[in-house]
Amino acid sequence: MQQQPGLPAVVAAVREGGSDAQAELLGRLRAGDRQAFAELVDAWSGVLLRVALLYVSTRASAEEVVQDTWLAVIGQLDRFEGRSSLRTWVFRILENQARSRGSREARTVPWSTAFLPDGDGADGGPTVDPARFRGSEDRWPRHWTDAGLPRPWQPPPEEAVVAGEVRRELRTALAELPERQRTVVELRDVLGLTSEEVCERLGISAGNQRILLHRGRARLRARLEDVYRGARGEPDDGG
Amino acid sequence: MVAENPAPAPRAAADDVLEVACQEFVELVTEHLEGALPEPVDRAVRAHLELCDPCVVYLEQVRSTAAALRTLPLPTLPAAARERLLDVFTALHGDPAEGGTGSS
Ligand SMILES: [Zn+2]
Repeated sequence: MQQQPGLPAVVAAVREGGSDAQAELLGRLRAGDRQAFAELVDAWSGVLLRVALLYVSTRASAEEVVQDTWLAVIGQLDRFEGRSSLRTWVFRILENQARSRGSREARTVPWSTAFLPDGDGADGGPTVDPARFRGSEDRWPRHWTDAGLPRPWQPPPEEAVVAGEVRRELRTALAELPERQRTVVELRDVLGLTSEEVCERLGISAGNQRILLHRGRARLRARLEDVYRGARGEPDDGG
Repeated sequence: MVAENPAPAPRAAADDVLEVACQEFVELVTEHLEGALPEPVDRAVRAHLELCDPCVVYLEQVRSTAAALRTLPLPTLPAAARERLLDVFTALHGDPAEGGTGSS
């Protein structure tokens, strides 16, 4: 047996360059620890595919970009100096691959051109219908009205018992979001990137990222609310 | 009877104490969750949540929405492509089990 493996590969791979955890993981990978490599491939390929689609236009192209990325990782592993985290390094390789592929495909990257101040809803009105709040003359100004206040969701939509219909609605609503909101929500919430990673991928400020996330999540919450209101009791009727 | 709206009546606050109403809270919720609010504003948000159950429900729903998104299936590489990558990896970096256990 090799030495006792330390942290799971996906955990060690986000540790900073030069850390003990990173050194240990690099040691395992360079020694051919197939399971550690498989762990990274399985955990990250979904994210990498999605990020590749920011640059290339088809799923098939994105798959090729991701495979080429992993091949480059394999090939350059011995030369990786560990100045950044392994994850950052892999993303950088992906973006180089995707960018050159994207320019061959002459794809217009939406992020380079579409990030105008008031494109698809970075600014804009309230995210909750103002009719659900009391007027400013009320005893409790700008507080929920009795009819407008949010009702708890039972069971909550993230629980496994929730019917597929709720998830289908969520997926549909996600697909219908304006592109920049959808991209941020997908990267943050579906794929679990950090806000720093999203800002770096998309070249946007932290403030803009939060606005897009806020507006996107608010729309999705409202859609789920409709589902729970319209189908009271239905999400948990499996019993 | 419907229970009385549990929202707090705005208190006659000193001039320098920030108060947040529900309609403001729903627009601050993401920055609150991201820890991006200036401390006095975040304090006002937390104070509001202490007293306002509907806004706690709203906050939970935003959290739930994000958590439900996390359960959606992710795209994956085709199984054959994945296997090929692992094989290239092993071909280049060797197999630590080789010669030792004889497992195949
Ligand atoms: Zn409130």
